[in-house]
Amino acid sequence: MIVCVAVVGQQNNPLYLQSFTEAGDELKLHHIVHCSLDVIDERVNNPKKSWPTLNETFLGLLYPSENYKVYGYLTNTKVKFILVTIDMEVKDADMRNFFRRFHAAFVDAVSNPFHVPGKKITSRSFASRVSAIVKSFGSGTTA
Amino acid sequence: MEDYPEELRTPPVSLVSLVGCPDLHPTISAALHSEQPPINTLALPDFSKISIFARKQRDPLDAGGHPPEGILKKEWLLKHRTRIPAVVAALFSCDQVNGDPAQWLQVCTDLENLKSMVRGRNIKLVIVIVQSTVTDGVSEDLIVALRKRAEIDSKHLVMFEQDNPLEMKQSLNRLSGIFAELCNTYYREEGRRVKGRIEKKTFGFPELNIRYCFKVAVYAEFRRDWAEALRYYEDAYGVLREMVGTSTRLPHIQRLVEIKAVAEQLHFKISTLLLHGGKVVEALSWFHKHAASYERVVGVPEMAFVHWEWFSRQFLVFAELLDTSPASIPGNVSPQFGTLENPLTEWEFQPAYYYQLSAKYLRNKKLSLARSLSLIECSDSAYKVEGCPDSVTPSNFVGQYARLVEEGDTVTVLPLSDAEYTSYAIREAQRFQDSYEIIALFRRSWESFNSLKATRMASYCANRMAREYFEAADFINAKEFFDGVAGLFRQEGWATLLWETLGYLRECSRKLGSPKGFVEYSLEMAALPIFSNSEGETDGDKRECGPAGPATLSRRENIQEEVFNLLKGQTLVAADCSLKILEDQPVLVEVDLVSPLRMVLLASVAFHDQSLKPTSSTSITLSLLSQLPCPITIDQLEIQFNQPTCNFEVVNAQEPSMAESIRGDPAVRVEMAPSLTVLPDKWLRLTYEMKSEQSGKLECLFVKAKIASFFMICCRAESPASMEDLPLWKFEDRVESFPTKDPALAYSGQRFIQVEEPEPQVDLSLNASGSALVGENFIVPVTVTSKGHAIHSGELKINLVDARGGGLLMSPRGELEPFSSDSHHVELLGISGTLEEDESQLNLDNIRKIQQSFGVVSVPDLGLGDTWSCNLEIKWHRPKSVMLYVSLGYFPNSAEAAPQRVNVHKSLQIEGKTPFVISHRFMSQFRREPLLLTKVKSSSDSDKKTSLALNEMSILIVSARNCTEVPLRLISMSIESNSEENNSHSCLVEHSHGSPSDNGLLVPGEEFKQVFSVTPQTDTSNLSVGTVCVNWTRDARANLAPGSAVLTRLKLPDVNVEKPPLVVSLEYPPHAVLGVPFSLHARVQNLTSMLQEIKYSLGDSQSFVFSGPHNGSVFILPRVEHIISYMLVPLSSGSQQLPRITITSVRYSAALQPSIVAETLFVYPSEPTFSIGLRRKELDPISS
Repeated sequence: MIVCVAVVGQQNNPLYLQSFTEAGDELKLHHIVHCSLDVIDERVNNPKKSWPTLNETFLGLLYPSENYKVYGYLTNTKVKFILVTIDMEVKDADMRNFFRRFHAAFVDAVSNPFHVPGKKITSRSFASRVSAIVKSFGSGTTA
Repeated sequence: MEDYPEELRTPPVSLVSLVGCPDLHPTISAALHSEQPPINTLALPDFSKISIFARKQRDPLDAGGHPPEGILKKEWLLKHRTRIPAVVAALFSCDQVNGDPAQWLQVCTDLENLKSMVRGRNIKLVIVIVQSTVTDGVSEDLIVALRKRAEIDSKHLVMFEQDNPLEMKQSLNRLSGIFAELCNTYYREEGRRVKGRIEKKTFGFPELNIRYCFKVAVYAEFRRDWAEALRYYEDAYGVLREMVGTSTRLPHIQRLVEIKAVAEQLHFKISTLLLHGGKVVEALSWFHKHAASYERVVGVPEMAFVHWEWFSRQFLVFAELLDTSPASIPGNVSPQFGTLENPLTEWEFQPAYYYQLSAKYLRNKKLSLARSLSLIECSDSAYKVEGCPDSVTPSNFVGQYARLVEEGDTVTVLPLSDAEYTSYAIREAQRFQDSYEIIALFRRSWESFNSLKATRMASYCANRMAREYFEAADFINAKEFFDGVAGLFRQEGWATLLWETLGYLRECSRKLGSPKGFVEYSLEMAALPIFSNSEGETDGDKRECGPAGPATLSRRENIQEEVFNLLKGQTLVAADCSLKILEDQPVLVEVDLVSPLRMVLLASVAFHDQSLKPTSSTSITLSLLSQLPCPITIDQLEIQFNQPTCNFEVVNAQEPSMAESIRGDPAVRVEMAPSLTVLPDKWLRLTYEMKSEQSGKLECLFVKAKIASFFMICCRAESPASMEDLPLWKFEDRVESFPTKDPALAYSGQRFIQVEEPEPQVDLSLNASGSALVGENFIVPVTVTSKGHAIHSGELKINLVDARGGGLLMSPRGELEPFSSDSHHVELLGISGTLEEDESQLNLDNIRKIQQSFGVVSVPDLGLGDTWSCNLEIKWHRPKSVMLYVSLGYFPNSAEAAPQRVNVHKSLQIEGKTPFVISHRFMSQFRREPLLLTKVKSSSDSDKKTSLALNEMSILIVSARNCTEVPLRLISMSIESNSEENNSHSCLVEHSHGSPSDNGLLVPGEEFKQVFSVTPQTDTSNLSVGTVCVNWTRDARANLAPGSAVLTRLKLPDVNVEKPPLVVSLEYPPHAVLGVPFSLHARVQNLTSMLQEIKYSLGDSQSFVFSGPHNGSVFILPRVEHIISYMLVPLSSGSQQLPRITITSVRYSAALQPSIVAETLFVYPSEPTFSIGLRRKELDPISS
């Protein structure tokens, strides 16, 4: 199950962060997402050391944190997508698929002429679209 | 890791024992220890001590069907490392063996005893016979007897010679070789024996299986067979894991404790072996497996803390292993680590990651322990009633505890019940300060993440550390770390995380009794961009949030209300401490450009104009913005400028009484504002008139807002044009409004304005016209006329700057630095006043300072309408164009009244020109040509130097052309010799012709020529002819003022003087008449003391017929003159060219041809009649 998705801007500031858990561990998820930026920095700055695919937007598993797994995705405008899941068995292909759909939703949201680039995403339709993706993904893997 | 016993932490080392001959033991021990691999020695001085090898009474349970009491015996490993040797060496000296029968008997007895001890354990036996000298022989019979008695191979009986070092070394080598071999055999046999039991499955219990596997692995380690050791450890680990659900031997809680203790030991061994083998990835995977398989094996909730402590230790130990492991991360080898399903990431190779998790689990332990304690306290549970047994000690088995009961002298060991164990464990756990342990772990993690440049991970650790400090009531440390963490969150805009951190900081400040800190953190929290509504608050208790409470809008409002109540003088009462602001210690909060409190109050100040005349006024708009969730009402605003006279205050018109009470200085201007309430995210704009008397920059510095009784917030004023976005809020998607009503002003408005100088009312004029001439003292008259201002303490500054270079004007560098040689070309000589000059020189206060291109002179006080003037004298040394800058600074009133200095500037470009172009020419005498060899030799290229003949007079024509635009009067021209003494000998210069006519007045372009005769008298190649001195004046009048004449000098180039060997002069009449013959003589003088052969020729000419040879040659004796004569008859009239005469010196192969001018003759058609008075008229038509 995906417990949290986040969009992080170029200055590493949160643009969108939504958790999908009932329990009040929102703060913990914030911390996890924030810490995972270090791994993204590391991968982006030393590409040859850590990751074989230079032009790949999907960054793969960033780090396992306690019971969570954190995945990352970097768009070519240096906006980062971060996903936190509690599934222990995750297929990379599923993650890639998720991020592709999420990216599409993000592109639509920032294409809104009233959206100022670099500001938080407050669009409700983006939020509902994201939760739909998250939901479909959750059911897809459990089914 | 340090808690583990030594024998577990280090790889096992083979052990051998030495018995007898104690004096040799140190030598042998040292030799064995330095072997590779080393061998440890258990040295027994004599045979009476061998009983320690004795086997205990066989454990009947071990063999029988009873279940074993535990899994691993605690002492077993230590025993095999320190007490049970693999090999025993019996050392006998030669004397003992060779001695009398009694001694031999003793040897045999000792051997028998040893054999009986050793046999039970399969320990290998070696006999060493020590020879003290070579001669000490032991007979072959004795050796065989001894060997037979000991039942050993012949090679296991060693002769040890200690005679000389070489032999001793050989003996030692032999000995250690035998020992190593036998150790290997022993451990292999032992291993094989135990392995046999495993394979046959002769045990009925998994405990034994684990124990056997462990033993095999240890024996393998003794043999350094790491692969086998690893395999058996893993087997043991696997069997153990299965026991978790099945074992029933011990009470439930203790069973788990034992299993985990054994698992820990096995896991440690496995990890160590893997890491030492360089298999980092395998070690990490193994650790993950280990952690995953035991993480959920918590056991009963009351004892959860035991589990978490154990679990935390697993991480800590692994982190330490990873830290000390020599194996490097295979970063560059395989890009994707681990398996495909379970990839490893960067952090998992870092010890810091495990330290952090260890700390996290230790925190779990702390929380579980607290929970267990509270459970015990509130429930009157069985644990409490039963109490804790006094003496609980670890028992003989790993991970087991037992109770010691002393009854008199006898001590019995009794098993514990779970309840007893629980209370024992709780009591033990309470003794530890978990907080400090957690902090230490987080600190290690923090340090390593920092060194890895993973700032966010590090700040997460710092955050956790600070929380521990907070919980341990160490607020000073907590605050320090929280402050660091908050900085990062502020920078990256993580409002929710910042909220949590600030909540802690606020609480720290409160606990530390710092109202200022409390107010600042509270205000910052209240101004954070957090808008989530209060839905979440219903389950607020469940949420994991700090003392700040959930991050919601309503909570922000609460916080603001709370802090403003405090600032109004109310006491903030909390459970443990209260905070109150004292009247004599009001809180002053300063907000600068980088302060996070800009969100609380932002002051933007914009002048409506860019510059201001001293008399007029302009508007200033003051805009305030607050992001606090509730409106704030300001009682009084103070606006401060860099010119204190401009400061003013704004008070709230709605509460004038309040304002009255606050008002301090009556001299300060006070404005009323209809309302001073700042609404959330809305600019409060106030516009006022401003005036300033003082010129220069007027800048608004601070805006101070007095809000509640005890609160003052001092904001640095910001210009709207260069205002930074608000931190955190800049990422919010909100409508941004302008600080000023006029959007253009919001983009261009500045918080400073330039106040102009008062308009000068004084005329400054520079009256020079035309260009200056090089050499003269050029006069520039300067006139200062007062028109509307009187002049006090006036000062005139003069600056000369190269017109092309520019830029030096008024710059202090130009005044102080020594001038470059270039700027010396123009020089300010002096400033001459008119009437006041004497006066100003007398007055010592007045300044008068003149440098080459800079001058200052003071101007006397002038009344209205007065005039003062002076002349600047400037001299040009080279033609150059310069800018003359003159500036007058003065006070319009007498000094005390007005501090305002007024400046007037004027500039003038002046061209410096050369007055005369002087040129010169040398000529030889008319119709006389000396033969100058240098002229002949030098090729057609024009010679650099003019050559003159020695003692021959030459003609020098000097001409000076007026190249200015004004007529100049040339007074005289002369040639001065450069050096007086040499002149008389070297060169005689005589003024022969020409003097300035018409008073020497030369109109522009006109040329003046003067002829000099020069006779060199010294044979030198560098004869200085002299310097042309032209004395001239600009003044056209005939009678000169003394000193007004200017002398322009030009040094003539040096000439080459040489002695001519031959001189040819042509002699013929000045004119001829048509048809009338005349004679032409060429006179050749030989000036040398040698015979000179001369060839001469005369060419044909249409205009003349001549008599005489065309060609000829002649010898001329030394110092003799030869004349070649011709008779010529002119055939046509007019100016005619004579036949070309060429004289060639054979010796010098130099042809001498007179110049064309020298060979031109005018032929009259008939005999002319000359009349002196008519000459000019007659000649004019001809010459034209």
